[in-house]
Amino acid sequence: MGIVNENTEAPVNTDQSESDVTIILSELLLDILREKPQEADGIDSVVVVDNVPQVGPERLEKLKNVIHKIFSKFGKITTEFYPEADGMTKGYIFLEYAAPTQALEAVKNADGYKLDKQHTFRVNLFTDFDKYMTISDEWETPEKQPFKDFGNMRHWIEDPDCRDQYSVIYEAGERTAIFSNDAKEPITAEERARWTETYVRWSPKGTYLATFHQRGIALWGGEKFKQIQRFSHQGVSLIDFSPCERYVVTFSPLMDTKEDPQAIIIWDILTGQKKRGFHCESSAHWPIFKWSHDGKFFARMTQDTLSIYETPSMGLLDKKSLKISGIKDFSWSPGDNIIAFWVPEDKDIPARVTLMQLPSRQEIRVRNLFNVVDCKLHWQRNGDYLCVKVDRTPKGTQGVVTNFEIFRMREKQVPVDVVEMKDSIIAFAWEPNGSKFAVLHGESPRINASFYHVKNNGKIELIKMFDKQQANSIFWSPQGQFMVLAGLRSMNGALAFVDTSDCTMMNIAEHYMASDVEWDPTGRYVVTSVSWWSHKVDNAYWLWTFQGRLLQKNNKDRFCQLLWRPRPPTLLSTDQIKMIKKDLKKYSKIFEQKDRLSQSKASKELVDKRRAMMEEYRRYRETAQQIYQEQKSIRLELRGGVDTDELDSNVDDWEEETIEFFINEEIIPLGDL
Amino acid sequence: MKPILLQGHERSITQIKYNREGDLLFSVAKDTVANVWYSVNGERLGTYNGHTGAVWCVDCDWDTKNVLTGSADNSCRLWDCETGKQLALLNTNSAVRTCGFDFSGNIIMFSTDKQMGYQCYLNFFDLRDPQQIEDNQPYLSIPCNDAKITSAVWGPLGEFVNAGHENGEINQFSAKSGEILKKAKEHSRQINDIQTSVDLTMFISASKDNTAKLFDSTSLEHIKTFKTERPVNSAAISPIMDHVVMGGGQEAMEVTTTSTRIGKFEARFFHAAYEEEFGRVKGHFGPINCVAFHPDGKSYSSGGEDGYVRIHYFDPQYFDFELEGPVRPFG
Repeated sequence: MGIVNENTEAPVNTDQSESDVTIILSELLLDILREKPQEADGIDSVVVVDNVPQVGPERLEKLKNVIHKIFSKFGKITTEFYPEADGMTKGYIFLEYAAPTQALEAVKNADGYKLDKQHTFRVNLFTDFDKYMTISDEWETPEKQPFKDFGNMRHWIEDPDCRDQYSVIYEAGERTAIFSNDAKEPITAEERARWTETYVRWSPKGTYLATFHQRGIALWGGEKFKQIQRFSHQGVSLIDFSPCERYVVTFSPLMDTKEDPQAIIIWDILTGQKKRGFHCESSAHWPIFKWSHDGKFFARMTQDTLSIYETPSMGLLDKKSLKISGIKDFSWSPGDNIIAFWVPEDKDIPARVTLMQLPSRQEIRVRNLFNVVDCKLHWQRNGDYLCVKVDRTPKGTQGVVTNFEIFRMREKQVPVDVVEMKDSIIAFAWEPNGSKFAVLHGESPRINASFYHVKNNGKIELIKMFDKQQANSIFWSPQGQFMVLAGLRSMNGALAFVDTSDCTMMNIAEHYMASDVEWDPTGRYVVTSVSWWSHKVDNAYWLWTFQGRLLQKNNKDRFCQLLWRPRPPTLLSTDQIKMIKKDLKKYSKIFEQKDRLSQSKASKELVDKRRAMMEEYRRYRETAQQIYQEQKSIRLELRGGVDTDELDSNVDDWEEETIEFFINEEIIPLGDL
Repeated sequence: MKPILLQGHERSITQIKYNREGDLLFSVAKDTVANVWYSVNGERLGTYNGHTGAVWCVDCDWDTKNVLTGSADNSCRLWDCETGKQLALLNTNSAVRTCGFDFSGNIIMFSTDKQMGYQCYLNFFDLRDPQQIEDNQPYLSIPCNDAKITSAVWGPLGEFVNAGHENGEINQFSAKSGEILKKAKEHSRQINDIQTSVDLTMFISASKDNTAKLFDSTSLEHIKTFKTERPVNSAAISPIMDHVVMGGGQEAMEVTTTSTRIGKFEARFFHAAYEEEFGRVKGHFGPINCVAFHPDGKSYSSGGEDGYVRIHYFDPQYFDFELEGPVRPFG
């Protein structure tokens, strides 16, 4: 057994296995050795605390106790020094801890600690002062990074024929392509193998295409779809963009440690910097963070809490979250910085929906609801109306009925109107920029489609109801007025194209086994598709006009997903739009002429192509026929001199035979003679 | 055109073939039965009894004297066409997948499956040498080491056999030496059927990769491709028009949803030079396994998974049809 002298590290006793013992003891003492005082350490364990109250000797003892209570949480305080001047403490103190790690803890946790209204502690390492003091006086201009020119990021909008683009993933995800939509046939803009590993997403104004990879996501844009930015987030599975396209939020279930929240990361798109990381318990309701329409705020809901953050600081608004006991769901108005949220019944307090203005946090409207089972919030796209779908079990009954509580956001004091529905609700959708909404209700096979108009005079009128519809989803055109009622998946792809200005069915059609319906951003075209992800055969996407006229059927091997590229908001003022609509006749003449020209050009191209193919085929057949003729003698020999080149080659050998065979029997009674 | 419905099989049809003159139509199926019918009215002439397993293939010689069948009962049998008598029984180690008479009718070839430890072989017997039949000794037996042969046809003069394989390859085997004369790798998945034009100068291959392709029989040059969105089970070339017909559909086990449309499975007609579809004929209740043109080109037949064989005589419009303006489907 040897004892290691700490200072000399030489064993005092020499045994057979003295070196082994040295090693073992060294390991055992490793922890203690770590704490072994070194000369320089003395300074590393010291912190300086500023904004300490300046007190006289009579209150010093109390002050020291308070400081001690707060700061001994981080470690053992070995020394403390309270500098004085003119009988009062100067307002800053020095504290020495037993180890530098403890000093770091103190800085991390106590910096910013609010002692009282006038005193918020600032805590720094003593060595930091040194560091900052020794910063070179000479200013070195940071190296200029070469400007990465990605070209015109809005290039696709400048297409002279106003073609919108859409992305297509096919070959089960192996290939991704970008097409320009032309009524005749899609024009390929870009096509790459393995561009993404799972799926793709467009940014809200269409500037970027995001692709997913094991290591993170990549953003592509510009005329040639160059890589604009890359964000490293191992195992990323979900993303969300801020509406302004300034930030992107990524989620990965893999990366999360207690000290360094990494499950959700918010990135600045232009600089590529990581702005902030958050924990995340489950990604079940993505996006976890909901953005206000202008990108100024984002918020998330956790147990009994609503946390609202502001940009660009990424800090909590007013430095604290809102405590809302029982909060079940919330959503931002798409037009204003207003949050709607609802809480269920609590003992004798009824359930209620609240509208809160941000950043003032003023409650502009509260609505009590009774016997509530569940609520869903549906905002109209401009924020003009909020519909709260309330499922209730009225007192004394067993069943569940549904009410739509319609909040009129643009009217003083936000009046609420109620529409009672007898059936169970399958789907609900607001007209994007209007005051109508559509509801699918009932149970298969008696599903009804009802259209309501929220009128200015305080009434909500049922315009029309279609019964016995094969539909489970509603798709409004983004420009309003037109819509598609679709029976997706299990309803075998039944489609109904409706004009809601007079509630007429423009066309009823079918895309067998359709799984998705996507309107283009202008509302001119609709795409229905059968995704390989939901059905393994007949994978294709079909293009229709908004009136339901089928234009194209595009089969794609193992087609998975089609997404239209969004358009940025129009630069035209409402007056300018009015002017264009007035002069529309003038413009439409020019467009019609252009269309006719391109039609005939296409026919001519097709005719030329066919002619070339036929000529080539004929040439091949002629050559083959020549060889065939040359081989005739061989053929005769193989068949013992019998010429079988034509079916009637041996007409002389034919025998003609007439056969009668029974075809039919008909018995006609002649009646009593 | 109202089709003639032949009901003679209880399980799915595996192959149908017309004789050279077209008056007879042979059909074989998974129910071990081999039938022969008059193509003019669909009346059944007779049955060739003997196989104890699914019959995969059938062929008739140029003179309509002999009939050849291959079966999963590990035998290839030769029959007298008129009397139905079994003339020869050639036992094999595994199922016989494809068979055929050469141009002269003197040499038969058939391929056996890769099964139960046995390789895939392409066997050749000369019928003029009875010893070969008696001893069950082919004069040439070519082993196929990799992908098994799934369909094969003779060349125009009996000199080679063009065989399609499970992996989409087409190999041209010499019937004299057994060596591979030419190769073609145009399909990406299994070749389900190969049929020749009536003059044997070209053939069409139907594949699981959703396409059918036209090849020159001698050079194996790839001439045309016809694309669909379903696996193609069988394809045939019209004797008198620049048309091809294709039949297919997904495998029975992949059908999980019931369509409300009965008789949804269609035979599709393509223009041979333009590679464009111009017509479809509905009627089968299951995928179509085999299609064949009558040698005079005035009718065609199809055999389906539903066990029915349908004979269709073309309307006069079919022959006048021009693909110049917008496509007008017919039938």
